[in-house]
Amino acid sequence: MGAYVVRRLVQSVFTIFGVMLLTFLLFRVVAGEIASAHLGPRATAKQLAEWRAKHGYDKPLLINRNAGEPWYDTQFLSYMTRVPAFQTRSVITNERLLDIIIERAPYSLAITVPAMALGWVLAMIVATIVAYYRASLIDHVGVFLAVLGMCVPYLAFIMAGQMLMFRVAPRLAYGLASPFSIYVPVAIAVIAGLGGGVRFYRTVIVDEANRDYVRTARAKGVPLPGVMFKHILRNCMLPILTNLVLAIPFLIMGSLLLETFFGIPGLGDLLLSSITNRDEPIVSGLTYLTALIYTLGVLLTDVLYAVFDPRVQLT
Amino acid sequence: MTQAVTVSADLEVAGLGRSLWGDAVHRLRRDPLAAACFAVIVLYVVVAVWASWAYADFEKTQNYAERNQAPSASHWLGTDVFGRDVLAKTLLGAKVSMTVGAMANVIAVPLGLILGVIAGYFGKWVDDVVVWLYTTMASIPGIIRLIAIKYAFDNVVLFEGSRFELDLGGIHGLYIALGVMSWIGTCRLVRAETFKIKSLDYVTAARALGQGGFRIVFRHIVPNLFHIAIIQFTLGFVGAVAAEVILSFLGLGVEVGTPSWGTMINAARLDLVVGRWWEVTAACGAMFAIVLALNIFGDRLRDALDPRLRT
Repeated sequence: MGAYVVRRLVQSVFTIFGVMLLTFLLFRVVAGEIASAHLGPRATAKQLAEWRAKHGYDKPLLINRNAGEPWYDTQFLSYMTRVPAFQTRSVITNERLLDIIIERAPYSLAITVPAMALGWVLAMIVATIVAYYRASLIDHVGVFLAVLGMCVPYLAFIMAGQMLMFRVAPRLAYGLASPFSIYVPVAIAVIAGLGGGVRFYRTVIVDEANRDYVRTARAKGVPLPGVMFKHILRNCMLPILTNLVLAIPFLIMGSLLLETFFGIPGLGDLLLSSITNRDEPIVSGLTYLTALIYTLGVLLTDVLYAVFDPRVQLT
Repeated sequence: MTQAVTVSADLEVAGLGRSLWGDAVHRLRRDPLAAACFAVIVLYVVVAVWASWAYADFEKTQNYAERNQAPSASHWLGTDVFGRDVLAKTLLGAKVSMTVGAMANVIAVPLGLILGVIAGYFGKWVDDVVVWLYTTMASIPGIIRLIAIKYAFDNVVLFEGSRFELDLGGIHGLYIALGVMSWIGTCRLVRAETFKIKSLDYVTAARALGQGGFRIVFRHIVPNLFHIAIIQFTLGFVGAVAAEVILSFLGLGVEVGTPSWGTMINAARLDLVVGRWWEVTAACGAMFAIVLALNIFGDRLRDALDPRLRT
């Protein structure tokens, strides 16, 4: 057990290193020059050089060949040491990313935590009902509606919801003027995610319901609700929990689109505005944050699997 | 193949004695919903080709006398803020969507297939490298991965000045971003399937006959993975179409001014409040229909091509 956890930890470190390598290549090597984007086309060579020196873009990328400077004094080294602890600073406001995250994350969590909890409960209830009556009219109609809901563009849900709020209660349609404002994006996120959720959970439950032990339980006379709750749902929990854990990065980042539309100053909104403003240190820091949380989530699920499911072999 | 000719009519009805592909086509034909969805997909492709020819000078059709008009007999879906026909704009959006969906998967599916089969067959360090590569990429979740790569591509022009100049800031960057970012699912499935196939007798026989690794992989294993590639292509198409709309909406997709459903929604996002619903509705409706058709067809195709899922 201990050895397994250690090995998975080492693998995760490699993954995180890979992510940083990838983002470094993307943001520093592929994207190239950002000084002129910030200073405008009429900036002089001296201004550009000063800007680069101030924000650390003047150093060599990978190997320092300048005389009198150590070979490792490069952009790569400063990137690899600053990004992991969220110590990068915005090139526009010079704020430290860690402070920005602490300030903004609560707004994102305020939308995504209730949305995920509520969405999960609703999707589970509907999926259980639909799966309970599988191959009947309720099932067919339920699956049909779920597929329809999945195919409506997310943007359409958001715009329709905001439009509706403008008609009904304009105060709630934008910003955080009222304490109830946060529930509008929450409701939209729940409704938009319901179709996909119901369909996924239904598949998991029906797969489980087709197994032999379920047939045995029914044959020996366990009533149907008992089979559903005591046997099937309990055994479905592992795939369902995995699915939930994998959604955690979006908890932190919030819903990019919802935050932009409703003017909520969360991390998703920050990511999009940093992209527009070409605030490279913030973009790379936030990309790293999501990857870190995702990797930790996967690690946690794998370990929990091994703890709770005796059938899982530690390989 | 010679056997199939002698198979009796009873076996034909039961779906036996046909190849996997023949059986799949037969099943899809008998399924009216799958056939209808396939018809919708074909219609979109035809419209995409036809619109780029019929509305070649769409950019020049600005008409300030007819700005923001509601749907009427002359403009069935109304006009946009520049007085251009929204119907034409929507049909041209289909062209962007279809090309992005196709190009992204033309890059992603072969990439995932080749990397997956090589990792699965050769194992050892090759497998470790491929698995590391895809876990790394998969650990940056979905849309953020795409946003990051499009951000990086913003000012990049490949082969500048030559005949093959590629401006990655626009639609070409979108193909590449979606292509190099969405091979992971295919790679995982193909790798797992290769693990199973490589221990089958016929592969052992090929190895015993002295065939080399690459020959076994590409002559004997890859043909047995084509059904996964086809399924992934259809399902990947949905993802690419949806991603294009969101990226274009955020201004990270196609070049400014290119008619696409994402740019239409972005241009008209404040229109709803003042009651101009037609442009947003046209774009969302067009997207809804193709995503629905692709989703259902993809599911039916998977059922038809993947015998293990049959009930």
